Amino acid sequence: MSDAPALHVEGLTKAYDDLIALHPLDLEVPAGQSVALIGHNGSGKSTFLRMVAGLLDPSAGDVEIAGFDLTEVEARATTSYLPDDPVLYDDLSLREHADYVSRLHGGDGWDDYAESLCERLGLAERIDDLPARFSRGLRQKSAIVLALVRPFSLLLVDEPFVGLDLPGKEVLLELLDEVHGDGAATLVATHDPAYVDRVDRSLALRDGEVIFDGTASVEQVLHLVGG
Amino acid sequence: MTVEQSAAVLADLRRARRKQRVAAIHWVDALYQVYVTGIVSVVIIVLVSGWVGDGDVSAGALADVRDHGPAVMGLLVALAIFSGLRAGSRGGPLALEKPDVRHVLLSPVDRGVALRGPAWRQLRFLTAVGAAVGAVAGQLALRRLPGNPLEWLLVGAAFGVTVVGLGFGCALLASGLKLPGWAASLVGGLLLAWAAGDIVGSLPASPTSFVGALAIWPVHVDPLGAAGPVLAGVAVLVGMRFVDGTSLEAAERRTALVGQMRFAVTLQDLRTVLVLRRQLAQEKPRSRPWIPAIRRHPHWPVLHRGVRSVARWPISRIVRVVLMAVIAGLSLRGVWHGTTPLVILAGIAMWVAALDAAEPLGQEIDHPGRTDQFPIERGVVFVRHLPITLLVSIATGLLAAAVAAAPFGDGVGWGPALVTGVALGMLAACGAVVSVVQGAPDPVDTLSMVTPEIAGGNAVAGTLPLIAARASVRGIQDPPPVPAAVNVTMVLTGVAVLVGGWVRFRDDIHGFMAEAAENMSPTKAAERMAEERRGEEEREADVLAESRRIAGLDDDGEDQGAGAAKRPPSRQARAKKPTAPSTPGVRGGTSAKPIGRRRDQK
Repeated sequence: MSDAPALHVEGLTKAYDDLIALHPLDLEVPAGQSVALIGHNGSGKSTFLRMVAGLLDPSAGDVEIAGFDLTEVEARATTSYLPDDPVLYDDLSLREHADYVSRLHGGDGWDDYAESLCERLGLAERIDDLPARFSRGLRQKSAIVLALVRPFSLLLVDEPFVGLDLPGKEVLLELLDEVHGDGAATLVATHDPAYVDRVDRSLALRDGEVIFDGTASVEQVLHLVGG
Repeated sequence: MTVEQSAAVLADLRRARRKQRVAAIHWVDALYQVYVTGIVSVVIIVLVSGWVGDGDVSAGALADVRDHGPAVMGLLVALAIFSGLRAGSRGGPLALEKPDVRHVLLSPVDRGVALRGPAWRQLRFLTAVGAAVGAVAGQLALRRLPGNPLEWLLVGAAFGVTVVGLGFGCALLASGLKLPGWAASLVGGLLLAWAAGDIVGSLPASPTSFVGALAIWPVHVDPLGAAGPVLAGVAVLVGMRFVDGTSLEAAERRTALVGQMRFAVTLQDLRTVLVLRRQLAQEKPRSRPWIPAIRRHPHWPVLHRGVRSVARWPISRIVRVVLMAVIAGLSLRGVWHGTTPLVILAGIAMWVAALDAAEPLGQEIDHPGRTDQFPIERGVVFVRHLPITLLVSIATGLLAAAVAAAPFGDGVGWGPALVTGVALGMLAACGAVVSVVQGAPDPVDTLSMVTPEIAGGNAVAGTLPLIAARASVRGIQDPPPVPAAVNVTMVLTGVAVLVGGWVRFRDDIHGFMAEAAENMSPTKAAERMAEERRGEEEREADVLAESRRIAGLDDDGEDQGAGAAKRPPSRQARAKKPTAPSTPGVRGGTSAKPIGRRRDQK
């Protein structure tokens, strides 16, 4: 792995006409660091993550992932994005999804790791079902499998606990810890203040601007986001 | 990942998905769709064919076709390029699936490989449609113009394919280069204006006129017409080259909206189509209204809400409404000079403008949960929205009237034009209100008499004052033009009043009619008959019990003295026994047996 930071952002801005969703933001996330992105609704967390994932066009600024410009293929190869709205094909089973996503990223397709992920998330019995028949929670779990089944060094996660039951939430927390332990940088946007206890760094946003960057306690977070 | 590896993985995916899709196809539905499409196509061809007529054009008209045909067809080409550039600036023309954006385009596969497949497939379909439409148009042209059928067929198809290729290629290019919307509008608009200027002869030949020359090859062969297909091919190839630059933000926004819009179109849900089209075009109300809010408390909150809505119209909506007014005005000029079918174009243009004018009402209908919480009836709220819709629509109609009467060429007289403008605006508002309030037709609702777009055809009736004034000018009827137009407008005002009443009492009428329809249904009739039969049985049983009591007999024909315990069961107890199920449809079982008569016979 190169010495380049997992994520380097300079002057990243997003504006919709006269509404500024994200003010110019500079940020550097070293490789392997876990970051919690916190803030109230409309603070710009999802906008920031979607721009880093390449799903939103920045109005201004630059994004580099592992030293590669966002538009380069290598940047896409190292970034995994787990959205808050699971997006799945209606006509592929969960196994086919995982196989396909893995192969798109140069993997061997469905393997033991994919199977173990499904088992841990309680999807073992539904591997050959179409996700179109899944509940919201099961679809979210499927999205988790797809985000983790492929190689990456930067994991972007947007509101991961929405729709998950308690066991599912615990498994996801374990998985995030494992991913972090394996050396990947994680950037998790969440409303859950308790999550900040598990990360190296917290970043608080309010109205599109960074209001805190450092190590925070739950009480501090609640104070910052007005909870 | 290499390009070859990307292609292989994507090919595997398509194979797997095709397999699943083919397994899920409902063949009867698919065949029915083909059948319906066929029927609709035949009807359209017959209608257009009838409109075109059969007689050969005069020598003068043929000369006009030779001289102005390329420019007129060039305008069509310019329109396709304009539309393509505009669509491309908004992320079109590709309509990808959302999972493709999330999983394929975010993966390290070559985006060009991933996008060219869907692009070629979309182009293949559009090309087939363009060729078919062009070929049919060629055959229709043959009925009036000289030439042989094969020539017109081939030239029509080639021109259709060229138009599609140019539009699609420009769209791909604009999308790949992330051309800003204003730039797309500027370039396309200039080309469009040039093509229009070429038609009226005020500008030198537009480049699109050279492409348009291809369309009249059977009449006049201009070698420059061959440039069209070549340009279209180049546009497509260059567009394909740059397709990998497509914005994922635009593509993802488009994925959801295009899918929803297709669904809304299949349901004939005009309002949803309208709202989705605005979202696709990113047409958002202004955050700062054109007119500042009135500080004092409004006396008429619904009217005030409507004014605030109109005050936030984005510039694109204003331009569209003005454009529709201009089209309507020019059409009225044509009608005045004898081209009566232009009333349809005038009506449709005004109806489209009125759909924008009815936006406050549409918003109310889009949010029934909110409307239902108001302490007044929905109908009353809707009626209070009508004045602003009428005002805006009539203002648009007056603008159309100004265009119709403008002092260039042979315009319409100011009097008839203004009266027609008012009537046209009023009827267009009525059509738009009916379309918006009625919503998507309910397939099981027998009260839905017309589809929303046909309801919009009411606007065409708004041109009747002009027809009346024209008849007066031609001496066909007595009153002078303006009174003739006013007379018709008075009658049309009655239509507006009826529409207002329909909006106010629609829920009540609908409820009454639904109840009446339900009562007339065979199921309801069967249930009513069963109820009557049960009552009859009970009455007969009572009479029988009374006669037995008088005769001193019990149920088994024995003396009543045998014991009062053997008295016939009470009315309530009997009522419980023949509890025939009130199932709809064919009835049988206990309640159908003539119990009383049998006992009488005994």
